Amino acid sequence: MLTYTLKRLLQGIVTVWFIATATFVAMHAVPGDPLANERATTEQIRRNLEQRYGLDRPVSEQYVVYLEGMLRGDFGISFTQENRRVNDIIRENFPVSATLGILAVTYAALGGILFGALTALFRNRLPDLVIMFLVILGISVPSFVVAALSQLALVDMNAFLGFSLLPVAGWGTLRHMIVPSMVLGLGTMAYLARLMRSSMLEITNSDFIRTARAKGLPPARIFLKHQLRNAILPVVTVLGPAIAAITTGGFVVELVFAIPGLGRSFVEAVQQLDYTVIMGTTVFYGGFLVSMVIVVDLLYGWIDPRVRLE
Amino acid sequence: MTTSKDAAGDTAGVAAGGGAGGGPGGAAVLDVADLHVEFDTHGGIVKAVRGASFSVRQGKTLAIVGESGCGKSVSVQSIMGLIPMPPGRITRGVARLDGIDIIKQKIINGEEVRGNRVGMIFQDPMSALNPTMRVGDQIAETLQVHRGLSKRHAFARAVEVLATTHIPEADARAKQYPFAFSGGMLQRAMIAMAIACEPDVLIADEPTTALDVTIQAQILDLLEELQRKNGMAIVLITHDLGVVARMADDVAVMYAGEIVESGSVDDVFYRSAHPYTMGLKAAMPSYATSKAIGLRPIEGTPPDLFDPPAGCGYFARCPHAMRLCDPHSPHRFEVGPEHHARCWLHHPSAPRGAAELYRGEPV
Amino acid sequence: MSVALRFSAADFEPVATERTLQAASRPSLSYWQDTWRRLKQNRRASASLGTVVALGALAVAGPWVWRVDPSAQDVDQISQAPAWPPSALIVEPYTAWGGVTAEPTQPGDVVTDVRLAEPATTQAVRLVWEPVIGAAGYVVYRSVYDPAPDRALGLPVGEMVGANRASFEDRLDLEPRRYWYSVVVMDGSRAERETYAALVVDAVRTVSAEDAESRGWAQNAGALEPGDRIDLPYHPLGTDYLGRDLFARLMYGARVSLFIGVVAPLLFVLVGIVWGSAAGFMGGRADQLLMRFADFVIALPFLLFVILFKIAFGIGPGESGVFPMLVALVLLGWPSTARLVRGQILQVRQEGYVSASQLLGARTSYLVFRHMIPQTMGVILVTLTFAVPSAIFTEAFLSFIGMGVAPPTPSWGSMANEGIRTMLSHPHELLFPAVIISVTVLAFNLLGDGLRDALDVRMRGRE
Repeated sequence: MLTYTLKRLLQGIVTVWFIATATFVAMHAVPGDPLANERATTEQIRRNLEQRYGLDRPVSEQYVVYLEGMLRGDFGISFTQENRRVNDIIRENFPVSATLGILAVTYAALGGILFGALTALFRNRLPDLVIMFLVILGISVPSFVVAALSQLALVDMNAFLGFSLLPVAGWGTLRHMIVPSMVLGLGTMAYLARLMRSSMLEITNSDFIRTARAKGLPPARIFLKHQLRNAILPVVTVLGPAIAAITTGGFVVELVFAIPGLGRSFVEAVQQLDYTVIMGTTVFYGGFLVSMVIVVDLLYGWIDPRVRLE
Repeated sequence: MTTSKDAAGDTAGVAAGGGAGGGPGGAAVLDVADLHVEFDTHGGIVKAVRGASFSVRQGKTLAIVGESGCGKSVSVQSIMGLIPMPPGRITRGVARLDGIDIIKQKIINGEEVRGNRVGMIFQDPMSALNPTMRVGDQIAETLQVHRGLSKRHAFARAVEVLATTHIPEADARAKQYPFAFSGGMLQRAMIAMAIACEPDVLIADEPTTALDVTIQAQILDLLEELQRKNGMAIVLITHDLGVVARMADDVAVMYAGEIVESGSVDDVFYRSAHPYTMGLKAAMPSYATSKAIGLRPIEGTPPDLFDPPAGCGYFARCPHAMRLCDPHSPHRFEVGPEHHARCWLHHPSAPRGAAELYRGEPV
Repeated sequence: MSVALRFSAADFEPVATERTLQAASRPSLSYWQDTWRRLKQNRRASASLGTVVALGALAVAGPWVWRVDPSAQDVDQISQAPAWPPSALIVEPYTAWGGVTAEPTQPGDVVTDVRLAEPATTQAVRLVWEPVIGAAGYVVYRSVYDPAPDRALGLPVGEMVGANRASFEDRLDLEPRRYWYSVVVMDGSRAERETYAALVVDAVRTVSAEDAESRGWAQNAGALEPGDRIDLPYHPLGTDYLGRDLFARLMYGARVSLFIGVVAPLLFVLVGIVWGSAAGFMGGRADQLLMRFADFVIALPFLLFVILFKIAFGIGPGESGVFPMLVALVLLGWPSTARLVRGQILQVRQEGYVSASQLLGARTSYLVFRHMIPQTMGVILVTLTFAVPSAIFTEAFLSFIGMGVAPPTPSWGSMANEGIRTMLSHPHELLFPAVIISVTVLAFNLLGDGLRDALDVRMRGRE
């Protein structure tokens, strides 16, 4: 188990390095000088940047500076916001996004596993059909539509009740977190439910379930210890990329619900072509993603002992 | 040579009991009578088992032989309640375990019978065990459920049972996962799971088909040894006549959903009373076969079970077919003491010459 | 039940039997024929296939049938919900109205008898009422909702000083819809009384003959008489906030969205096939290297590359970036397909029939085309059908945040983006693009499901 962990960590570090390098290369391979976009900079910023990054020095030197900064955890200063360090932007906004993301993933995973298992249990009966219908809706409706519609629903609900039960936008209290994280996790929950369902059905037909029944085990035990445990595996595999999907999808929810998260800052930076913020956020996100994937992989290794041999 | 008699009622009623129970010995531990199983499929209704009757005595081994698709696995799995009953259906039949009909009971007491009084092992051990559970835990499960043992106690007992299957270092092995075991070892583990609660009957569904020949021999030896120790009956399903010859006390030959011949192993092998049995023996490679004689396969294919023939299922391939064989399904004739065959050749009016053509002919 | 049968000697005569192989009772089908048959039987999948084809037809042929420019603004029908074909009544050109004054006879806090001086049209709404003593003036409000529940009177459209003022003419942006007018008494200090008098007014669309001609609704003003009805341009699905026909925009948007949604997956699946097959075939270190690289590509940040390509292609902010989206999707999307294909190839390579073929003397190219490609086709087809909705979502998302298509080019994503802003007042602007995105995505998903089931039954060898 230990070697497995170390291997994965090493791979993770290499991947983050690759992301950082690729980002750097991409930014510099683009024709034209990013600073030449006058809309985005003021004189003061331009001077700071040139001084900081040595933008007139050869690319290889810039790369070293870049990497050094990254290793120190310093992503530089913003292009468009005067005297704002990228680190600060990240530091202020990331916890919000992270909370949102983690809540969403938790909803998605728990809900997906639960509903998926239920549909397999009640196969072709009413609960199965209802859940599958909702699942299909969940996969097809785009996230921004769901976000907007749920906001509308909140407005109506609050109007109907006469008081604001759940806030329509903003962030701060637990009540603020409920609806946005549910909305964010919905698409992934639907996807996981579906995956869980097909996994359960496949397992149900497998030989070792037949053996379990031949042993005369009660159905509850077969369901929990044999079916569920094995059916979860593909779902856990997918959790890594699912976390990725949720993190990137977070932009939309943050925008619609006016949540001050990193996603919103990122989109603003994108729209204003604030390069340091874009790069810093990208590499940061990349690192975060990679660590999440590693965590999931380790979890998988714990559940399925066959993988550890790798 | 006894005159063949028309055994009254080939739909063996409740009183008549099952098939191969020849010779002195214990009472029938498992007795199946007139089993009919069918399936609903997209293409129609498949009549997989059409009136099978067999029984096994305490401490003895019954082999059910037949080619793939003849219904041997289905008959056994259906009485154990392992066939999903929406597409499957038992339309007729009785299966008595120590006198109590378990078909009627399986919905209520299925769990009491399975794993507890009847143990089962299957064909492909590599896929028959839960990959995410330790082997020892999987054996211990039956003890926890059926004997109410605590987890630790059950695990300790499981290690003991595993040791009786001659797996080296059973203690360490029990803590491992299935992927660390070879095919032969997995089969031993499966046997351990099946006998942990000391069942009355062990059903082995093609236990050696997926194994090497040398391992095959070891597993069969193990089964015999366990039978001697526990006194349990074994129902052995196989298509390999060599295995039958080695292990079985009684044999039931199955073809197209019916038992076409049943009797003691000597009867069925040396005094075969059905053309199909003869065909099977002729098709077996043995030391006696030489280039001159060659293998003699049975021409043709088994009948379509969507639309089973009204007459004898073997009619299209039988070298001794008679005119009445096609429209009329043969009755079950008593060919000898506890030796039965479903073949019109044993009808009193059948030309004796034909009956003697193959009677008593060894391979 | 023992059947008593009587047999004769003839019954026991030997009979020759045909010991041949039983004729197959069902005709033999090739793999693809069987797959197609299974697919057709699956009702959900057939319906989805039909939907997909219909959408394709809509995108390709639609604009030829419904020839409306998606960028053309019909300023007379802004944010119009879907309705029956609108028409307008021809009337005399507008003439000024003197208004009405009357001496108040009753004191009171609120005017009475608010009514229309003449039928309300989009040219003018003329109200009259009974003034009251003690009023220093009156304020007239107009609302598109009933003011009663919250006393939200709406927009103040007129304020007049003088107790004897008894009329008001509203000409402000009148639309053919229902309005609630409220008249409030104002006292000397310009404070307004609490009570108000309201009137529900349904304005009818009218236009003068000259205006009709100048707006392009009629060819010749001279041929029109007051009292005639002329038809206005019809927008079956309504219009958006700039007055653009939603139906036309949906169809052109279909072109953009489906173009990206289909072409991008096709391309990156192709790249994935080539990459994965190469890796699967060559095996060993080459395989390891290729797959490592693929793993890295997966980790690359998508949005960043979209931006970079946008710049690289010299597309400024506010311009449509269809090409960068496409390139980014292709360049970053192929690894998962490559993995899948490689996995399939590796699996197929070990199958018995491949070795058997080789033993029979088959050459590598034969093996590839006759055995390996058909086996992988199934997986590839399914991947494709699931990649399409994913690409459509991505495009919608990018357009939504402004990184994709820019106005006036329509795409379903940008339409949804615009629709969200007017979600509360004009839901249809959001509803239609959202629904069509959902339907498309749903159709492709179900089709992918159906395909997978149709192919899978054979691949698994079940039943």
